[in-house]
Amino acid sequence: MNYILDGLRQAFVLLVNGDPETFSAVATTLIVTFEAMAATLALGAPAGFLLGYASFPGKRAVRLTVETFLSFPTVVIGLVVYAFVSRRGPLGEWGLLFTVPGMAVGLTILGLPIVIALTAQAVENLDRRLRPTLLTLGARPRHVFFATLAEARFGIMLAATAAFGRIVSEIGISMMLGGNIKWDTRTITTAIALETGKGEFATGIALGMVLMAIAFLVNLAATATRRRSAA
Amino acid sequence: MSALYELADVVQRYDDREVLRIPALSIESGIILGLAGPNGGGKSTLLRLLAFLEAPAEGEVRYRGEPTRGREYALRGEATCFPQEPYLLKRTVRANVGFGLSVRGVADIRERVDAALWQVGLDPARFSGRSWRQLSGGEAKRVALAARLALRPRVLLLDEPTANLDKDSAELVRRAVLTARERDGATLVVSGHDQPWLRAICDDMLWLREGRVSAPVLEQGHSWPAAASTQASEGGQP
Repeated sequence: MNYILDGLRQAFVLLVNGDPETFSAVATTLIVTFEAMAATLALGAPAGFLLGYASFPGKRAVRLTVETFLSFPTVVIGLVVYAFVSRRGPLGEWGLLFTVPGMAVGLTILGLPIVIALTAQAVENLDRRLRPTLLTLGARPRHVFFATLAEARFGIMLAATAAFGRIVSEIGISMMLGGNIKWDTRTITTAIALETGKGEFATGIALGMVLMAIAFLVNLAATATRRRSAA
Repeated sequence: MSALYELADVVQRYDDREVLRIPALSIESGIILGLAGPNGGGKSTLLRLLAFLEAPAEGEVRYRGEPTRGREYALRGEATCFPQEPYLLKRTVRANVGFGLSVRGVADIRERVDAALWQVGLDPARFSGRSWRQLSGGEAKRVALAARLALRPRVLLLDEPTANLDKDSAELVRRAVLTARERDGATLVVSGHDQPWLRAICDDMLWLREGRVSAPVLEQGHSWPAAASTQASEGGQP
C-alpha cells in the first residue's frame, strides 16, 4: 500500500514542479488528439449526416460496415495503417511512420466510425416535422443541411465526446505508429505503459491523473455547452 | 379576381393508398377559403399540395397560371404552411420567428420579428429571448404562427390553427389572420373543425370527405352560402 501512496506523493511533486518529460507526453497527447479530432469531425459529421438523412442504394450495407468498425480492434487499425505508411508501404514516401501526424491518421480511423454512426443516429432521431417546417419557411437545400445539423447538435456533441474518449485514451495505435519516442511521439498512455513496466509508478500515476483531468474537463465543457445551447 | 391556384385531375397517394382526388378546383386571389370535413378527409394533404411541400401523384397544380412542378423551392417563397402540430427549432423565440426571414436575406429582421410577435399577442420584450423549452403549448403555437406571419407571404395555409387553443388565443389567431389579408393582401386557406370560427373569417368554404370534395355537412341550425369565388367539382364517392 505504501508504494501506491509514495507514487501518488511523487506524482504530485512531478506535476507541481513541471517535470519536462511528463509535460512533453501531455503536450504530444493534446496535439495528436486535437489533430485526430479535427479530421474525425470534419470527415465524420458530414458523412454521418448523409448516412442518417439521405436514402441511397446500399445504405444498410454502409450502416452495417460503419457499425462493424465500431468494434474494430485498435491494434488491427494500427497494423493496417502501419502497413500503408511503413517504408515499403504504398504511402511510405510520405514519411508518416513514427510521427505525430502518422499517429493522428490512425486515431482518425479509430474515431471516424464513432462520429459517423452516432451522428447518423442523431439525424435519424430528429423530429419528422423538421424538414417540412424548414421547407415551408423558405429554406433552400444548404439551409436545410445546416439547420438540420444545428438541430442534431446535441447528438453530434455526444458523438464528439465519445470519439474524444476513445482517441485520448488509445494506446495500441499510438504505440505502433508513434513508436513511443521520448520528447517526440510519446503520449500519456504510451508513457504510462512504459513507466509502469520500468516500475516508475510515480510518473505513471502523474500521467494518469493528467489524463483523467483532461477527460473530466472535456466532458464538463461538453455538458456546459449542451446546457447553454438547450436554454 | 383571378385564379391563384388551379388544380386539374389531382390525385395524391401515400403507399399506393389514395388519399385525395380533386377533378377540378380553382382558388381566387385574395380570398379566405375554409376547408371543412371530418378527420382523414384530405384537408391536410390539400394544404401540403398548395404549400408545394409535395407534388401530386397525378394531375397538375398551377399557380398564377403556371405549372408548379420543378419550381417548388422558388414557389415556397410565396406560400407558407402552418401545420396542425407546428415544430419549433431548438432555438430562442427570436431565432425561430426570424429563421424564414434570414434564409430569404431580409434586412430588417428584428423589426419584422417584433411586429409578428405583437400580431399573435406576444410581447417581444418578454418572449423573444425565451428558449423553445420555456413556452407553453399555446405559446409555442403562436410563435410558430408568428414565424409564418413575419414572412408576409402571398399565400398563408393554416391547418387547424385554433386546435388546442383557448378562446382568447383563438381570437388572437383570428385577428392575426385577418391582418395578414388586410395588410399584406394574402390569400388564405384555413382548415378546421370549428365551424363558427371558420364562418367568422372565411369568404368561401370547401368540404372534403374521404379525399373527395363533398356537399356541405353543416352543424345543426347552420347554413352556408353557395360558393362565391371557388369553383370545385365534386369527386363523387370513392
